[in-house]
This record gives sequence, structure tokens and C-alpha cells, in this order.
Amino acid sequence: MELQKFSYDNKIVKAFMIATVIFGLVGMLVGLTAAIQLFYPLFNFDLQYTTFGRIRPLHTNAIIFAFVGNAMFAGVYYSMQRLLKTRMFSDSLSWIHFWGWQLIILAAAITLPLGFTTSKEYAELEWPIDIAIAVIWVVFGWNMIGTIIKRRERHMYVAIWFYIATFVTVAVLHIVNSFEMPVSLFKSYSWYAGVQDALVQWWYGHNAVAFFLTTPFLGMMYYFLPKAANRPVYSYKLSIIHFWSLIFIYIWAGPHHLLYTSLPDWAQSLGVVFSIMLIAPSWGGMLNGLMTLRGAWDRVREDPVLKFMVVAVTAYGMATLEGPLLSLKNVNAIAHFTDWIVAHVHVGGLGWNGFMIFAVLYWTVPRMWNTSLYSKKLANIHFWLGTLGIIFYALPMYVSGLVQSLMWKEFNPEGFLVYKNFLETTVAILPLHMLRATGGGLYFIGAVIMTYNLIKTAYAGSFVANEEAEAAPLMKEYVATSGGWHHRVLEHKPVLLTALALVAILIGGAIEMIPTFLIKSNVPTISSVRPYTPLELHGRDIYIREGCVNCHTQMVRPFRSETERYGEYSKAGEFVYDHPFLWGSKRTGPDLARTSGKYSNSWHYNHMLAPDAVSTGSIMPAYPWLFEQTIDIEQTAPKIRALRKIGVPYEEGYEDTANDDLRKQADGIAANLKADGIEVMSDAEIIALISYLQRLGKDIKAEKLAEEVNK
Amino acid sequence: MKKLFFIVLGLFATLNGWAEGATKEKSFWADPFNHPLLPFYSLVAFIFVIIILVIAISIVLIRTMNLLIGQIEKQRAEAMGQAYVPALSWWDKLTQKLNASVPVSQEKDIELDHNYDGIKELDNHLPPWWKWLFYISIVWAVVYFVAYHFSYSLPLSKEEYENEVAQATAAQQRFLESQPKAVIDESTLVYSPDVAILEKGKAVFTRNNCGSCHRNDGGGNAIGPNLTDEYWLHGGGLKTVFTTIKNGVVEKGMPAWGKAMSPGDVRDVAFFVMSLQGTKPANAKASQGELYEPEVKTEKTDSTKTQAVLK
Repeated sequence: MELQKFSYDNKIVKAFMIATVIFGLVGMLVGLTAAIQLFYPLFNFDLQYTTFGRIRPLHTNAIIFAFVGNAMFAGVYYSMQRLLKTRMFSDSLSWIHFWGWQLIILAAAITLPLGFTTSKEYAELEWPIDIAIAVIWVVFGWNMIGTIIKRRERHMYVAIWFYIATFVTVAVLHIVNSFEMPVSLFKSYSWYAGVQDALVQWWYGHNAVAFFLTTPFLGMMYYFLPKAANRPVYSYKLSIIHFWSLIFIYIWAGPHHLLYTSLPDWAQSLGVVFSIMLIAPSWGGMLNGLMTLRGAWDRVREDPVLKFMVVAVTAYGMATLEGPLLSLKNVNAIAHFTDWIVAHVHVGGLGWNGFMIFAVLYWTVPRMWNTSLYSKKLANIHFWLGTLGIIFYALPMYVSGLVQSLMWKEFNPEGFLVYKNFLETTVAILPLHMLRATGGGLYFIGAVIMTYNLIKTAYAGSFVANEEAEAAPLMKEYVATSGGWHHRVLEHKPVLLTALALVAILIGGAIEMIPTFLIKSNVPTISSVRPYTPLELHGRDIYIREGCVNCHTQMVRPFRSETERYGEYSKAGEFVYDHPFLWGSKRTGPDLARTSGKYSNSWHYNHMLAPDAVSTGSIMPAYPWLFEQTIDIEQTAPKIRALRKIGVPYEEGYEDTANDDLRKQADGIAANLKADGIEVMSDAEIIALISYLQRLGKDIKAEKLAEEVNK
Repeated sequence: MKKLFFIVLGLFATLNGWAEGATKEKSFWADPFNHPLLPFYSLVAFIFVIIILVIAISIVLIRTMNLLIGQIEKQRAEAMGQAYVPALSWWDKLTQKLNASVPVSQEKDIELDHNYDGIKELDNHLPPWWKWLFYISIVWAVVYFVAYHFSYSLPLSKEEYENEVAQATAAQQRFLESQPKAVIDESTLVYSPDVAILEKGKAVFTRNNCGSCHRNDGGGNAIGPNLTDEYWLHGGGLKTVFTTIKNGVVEKGMPAWGKAMSPGDVRDVAFFVMSLQGTKPANAKASQGELYEPEVKTEKTDSTKTQAVLK
């Protein structure tokens, strides 16, 4: 068979790599800023665009989609061409993919600080950007499947299976979770409400970790690790078993983010058991990576690329054991809502994703520029700064999470909470937050050193835009070498493999979601729960815009320590009009589900104006702009129409009179404030926010009162 | 590595010191040299250091010995004209056995005939312990689900909560019964500037952030009224103040503290509030409510002096 000549496209890989480094630095810097704000709130410079609630989503989005996303594309484009012995299917698609993705990132970087957010974690971007993401993702998948079809290598290597699973699953996750009803160009309401919204969101959120941060990186590990170590992959059997079990089981585990919430118990239990069953499949990847290094451990000591990979794979193994353990209900009861979870994700993010990206960059850049690394010494310094950074980040956060959780739960023998004042538990962990920021700072400095090293390397070499290669074309008629059914057969049928992967990932999600949506008993109704008034609705949207959900939960779990502190535990029926749900995932401040009537309007007014003056030592930022900006009452009607379309029972035509109700309620609050000597415009945003805060938990309190009267 | 070790050690030391501080007890570190347990702790620390040293030295000795034996074996092999193959370390042997893996030296036998951009694959067995881990986790999952949802032998969230509350209530009851009855009868309370009580009251005031609405010195702010003057929104006098703190004025933002603290704490903080009378802090809020004049005039104590004594 005659060999065909062709070339690998390195230019697109280079573009994605540059984007990786730039957005990596930006994302880390934003994260560092957020970390500093958690002990020094003034670090937001009193600007609304840089408050914690807005830049925390900016940090997570920048790291996940810009840093890790671009790195994933660089790794996929580099390895896929070589594993399939072909250039990418279409250069135009490659470049549409690249520029499209960068424009999405730019749009995110502009809209998130402006407060355009859906508030759903890692899916904060508003609907026009969601559509753009779906389109560009399909372009990526099209380019990828096209490349696979025109390959010159009959069998698809395990890395390719992981890339295929990544493409189909992220497409399904993104589309299903982004169903939303537009109100205006940059405002929408989630299609789902309350419990259902929470289930869909955490099915998405958990599997974004699985299929955006894990599977593509396992694929990259399977290419770059054996290449860098120059060793054969340890076990082909293990690859097969852990690939299929991983993608099938992962998708079920989402509800472990919602343990002890109002999610039906059976769904919570599914989340627990599938998380435990996930330990072995996850570890399969780690084992295959580490055991591939058998016989190369002497080189690990010398080679920075291998060093980064070993720490990355080890961090992966630790995080994937810790995750299932955190899914046990008794462990979760301690760790959830605390810094422990932040430590956990950063072992994964800084260790697994970050270090794997650094290894891939250090390995590919010298090859693509046809030179050797500028300085091995600097790479080693980067390695130690990064490792120390992870340790200094994770250890204080574990301690902090545990300490705060135990303080939340401590009762004295008389049966009262020892730390009634939530703030006491916040102040106690501030020194640990400072240590955490130090760890983050070390990690960031390491990344800066890497950038310098890579730039120097590139300047020393000359870039090979099109790398020449040759390979024999595929024979038209393929005769299987082994008889009967075998996984090998699947490996040369890309469409069948894609279809089977899709089926594997649809089962878990479908079994959890369909009953939750269709069976009434999963969300028992509460008669006193009514839709929000127009003013409260505006207030809720301000709450969403300011990202309050990043620090405050609205989910009282059925623990004595929480019902004592906050009030009755949350019920599924309370949230039927909550588009989107705002349960939150972290309690930097106290839970707000039972806020109504707890404080006076003037307390809220002063507290939002200067939290530290009202609660000495508070790390909540001030929100002075809420007192100057006015409610956009033009939006009342479209908001009500949009919500009615997705099932909130506002009467037909209510949008015409809604603003009358709004004014009446706002004037009432303004008058009440005036009685306390506070002069404020009744159309200021703070009025709407106060009305919303005073609504939280009001319905359930009314229900309780009615019950008592009936007795 | 050494540097790393010291930095990590330093980190733990800081955390430790901080945790000690958090407990607010004068512990060993407050005055280590005069602590009665100093000799004991020193001995333990000394033994600990010795043990670590012994272990470290043993490891170094064993490794040196192995190296020497290796050298001798090598010389012997060379003398006999044979190729020297070093024996596997116990660790290599162990992992090979646990993972049922084919030794590196024989891996050519299990290499698959494919090559992906230079990457080869071996056909090693699944590690047996890994396989068992997977099987056991699946069995565990089935048992867990059946126990919670089919045989109902374990409590779900709601039942778990009810059990927790019932147990706590019982424990609380037992505790209260074991204590001498501290009768705090609000109808017979009489204020006295007892420093012990006032100090406790001040601590309750600070820890529960009463200052957020009444200012730390009681002077009042935009949210809550001045507590230092003789005008009261909900009635003056110790007994009324005690009731106001206990039951709150929830519609006006004053929480019902009796639900969150013991009657003793309410008494202490009420005493502290009474002790603020007449302190006249700077920039205090203008008087609100009605003037309260006690029925029985008691001798006025110098409240500013009382405050100065409190910690």
C-alpha cells in the first residue's frame, strides 16, 4: 500500500494554547481577587462590577470554560490528528470553533460583571450566549466526527473514545440545562422550577465536572502520558472496563449535591449509591496512568513533564475517592455548604486539570517549535510552587470547613446553640482564608513563571505550522483479525460507538428526572405558597443579579442545628414558583430561607448599605448602588408574561395592573422606613430587595400559623 | 524536600496555635514553663523524636546494606561470567502480586499488535483488588438502596430529623433535671450592679451582636433605640426589659431571644442593659418612646463607673 503524504495542523493547536495560557492567568487572578475579598471585602474597590457575587462566577467560568476548555481543545486537536493519522476534517471548522469560543469567553467576561446571570452554577451565561455555545460545540463535534470518519488508523485508541463521550454528553447536558424563557435580550427564567430545577442543574453541574473536566483530560492523559514516558499503556482491558463504567455511572451521581435538601429521598439515595460505585471506575484511569510509568520512575525524578503528570494523576485519584466519601450522607452533613467542598474542587482543579495542562504545555511547545525547553530549572521551580500552592490552598480549607461546620452544630447542655451568631463562625476561619489566598498566590506565580519559560522556548525555536506526516490509507474492505464479538469491533465503528456512549449517558439522567417531573407526590403542594408579587419579583432578580446565591443558601436542612438557627426545614412545595431555584451550594453567610420578619426593614436597609457597621466584622460587601439605581418597571409586564408561560399562575392580564401593586407595596416599605427616620425613593432597587427578603419563608410561616389556629 | 517538610510543619504549627486560641482556654501554651505536665510532655516529645531518628537511621542502614549486597552480587555474577539481573525489591514484588501484572521484563509477551502514533498497549489483567473493590461497591449499593427504600430498615431524612430532635430534647430534659433549679422569676427580679452578672451580660450582648441595632455602647443607631436614656418604646424597668428581650417585638425587628438562650443569659443581659442607664455615650440616638420613672426610687449608682469596671 502506498503511503499518503499529509500534514498536521499545528497552527490551530498553537492558537488554543495561547488562549489557554492567557485565560489561565486571568482566571487565576480573578480567583485570587475573590479569595482576598473573603477576608478583606474592600478589595472589590466598592464597584458593583467587582463584588464577590459577580466575580466568583467569572472565576469559575474563566477557569472551566476558558482555561480548561481551551486546553482541552488544544490537547484534542493535537492528539487526535496524530492518533487518527490525518489532518483535522476542516480547517475552516477549526477556526470557526476557535474564534467562536473566544467570542463566547469575551461575552462572558463582559456580561458576568454586568450582572447578567441565570444564577445556575457553571451555567450562569444568559440565553443568547447559551445558543452560541451550543452552535460552537456542534461545530467542534462535527469537526471531530469528520476527522474520525476520514482517519487512516482503523482502530480508535482509548483517547478518542473519551473525546467522543465528552462531545455527546456535554451537548446533552448543556442543552437540557439551558432551557429558559427569555424576558429580554439578557434576562431569562429557567424553564424548570424549584426541586426540578435543582435536579437538572446538579445533574448538569456534576457532569460538567465529569465530562468537561474529567473525560477529555483522561483522553489527554492516555495520549500525552505514554508519549512523555515512552512506555506502553499498562492495560487495554482496564481502559475498556473503566471507560464504559465511568460514563455510565457518572451521570447518575448528580443528586449527591442535594443530600438532605427537599429533593425526594429516592433520588438522593441514587446519588449516594452511584457515587460509591464510581470509585473503582475513576481509579481505573488513575491506575492505568500510574502503572504506565512502571519502569520509568527513575525518569520521573528528572523530567518536569512527568512530575507534573504524576501529581495530576494522583490528585485525580484523591479527588475521586474524596468525592464519593463526601457523598455519604453522614459525611455530607458535615462538609456540605462549607470550605471543605471548596478544598475538594481545588484539589481536582489545581491538581488534576492545572497540572495536566502544564505538563501538556511543557511537552508540546518544544515539539511544535522544534526546539527544547528554555529552562528545566524554571519548570522545576514552577512544579514546586504549584505543589506548595495546592497544599497551602487545600489544607487550610479542609480545617476551615471542618471547624466552621462543627461550630454551626455545637449545642450547650441546656439545648441552645453555642454560636447563635453566625458571624462568630465566619470570623473564626478568616486566618485560614488568608492562608488559602497565599496558596493561590503561589500557584499563580508558578503559572507566570511557566508563561515566561514557554515564551522564551518559542522564541528560541521556529514554529512548525504544518507538520509533515505520512500514512497508508484505510483499506476499503476490512477483515477482522479476530473472530466473533469483541470490543475491537466497536473501535472501528465510530458512529456505533458514539451512539452507544449516548445511550449509556442518557439512562441515568432519564431515570432520575422523568419521575421527578411527572409524579406529583415528589413535590407535595403547600396551599399557602403563592407566586411572588411584582415588587418581590424585581427584588428576586436583583438578588440573582448581585449573585447573593454565591454566599447564601436558601435551604434549611432537616438537622436540629439548622431548625434551631433558622426555623423549619425546607419543603419541596415551597419552591414551585422559583424559576430558577436559589438553594445555593455554599454558606459563606447564613441561610436566608427563613429571613422574612426576622429583621426590620430598617435593619436590612442599613445592613445592605454598610454590613460591617451593622454586624461588626462582617465580610459582606456594601451595596451602595442599590440605593441609587431604580427598579425598571418597564420590565414588569414581560417578566410576568414569561413566568406565566412556564407555569406560574399569574392571572391573564395581570401584567397590566401589576405595576399598581408594585407601587403600593413599595410605598408601604418606604413609609415604614420613613417612620424609622430613613428617607428613600420608593422606586430604589433596595426597596425591591427588602420586599423579597421579607418574603423569604413567609408562606410557610403563614401555613404554620394557620395550622395552629385550626387546632 | 526538606524545605517542603519544614514549611508544612510550620503550617500545622500555626493552625494548632490558632485552634488553641479559638477555645479561649488558658491552656498549656499560655505558660508552658510552669505547667505541671511539662516534664511529661517533654518526655513524650523526646521519645517521639528518638523513635523517628531510630526509624530514619534503620532505613538508611538497610538501604546501604542492600546496595552493598547488590554490589557483591554483581561482582560475583561478573566473576562467573553471567549477566547481572538485580532482584526485585519487596515493594515491586508486592505490587506485581497485588496487581497480577506481568513483570516489565516480560511485557513484550503481552504487547498488542497496535501502535497509535508510537503508543503501544499492554494486555495486563485487571488488578484483582480493583475488581473486588468494584464488585463490593456494587453489592453495597444494592444493600443500601434496599435498606432505605424497600425494607425501610434505616431512617430517611425526615425520620432521622425527628429522632435527632427527640433524643436532644430528652438529653436536655435530663440535664435540666440534674441541675439545681435556677429560678429566675421575672416578677421578683431586682437590679443590682453585681459585676459578676454584668460581665456575663456584657459578653452575651457582644456575642449576640445586640450592638448591630443598639450600638456596642447601647447608644442606638438607625435601626434600634437608645438603651442608655430613660425613655422606652416597650416599657422601662428591669422586669419589662427582661420580658422584651425574652419575647422580642418581632414585628419591629427585635428577636425573641428567649428561644435562643437560657433564662439565665436573658437575665444577665437585661442586667447589663439596665447598667447602661445614664452612661450618656457620645452621639447617642434621640430619645424615643415614653419616659419611665421607677415606682420605688432606688439609690442611683454611678453607671459610668460600673461600665469602666467591666471587662
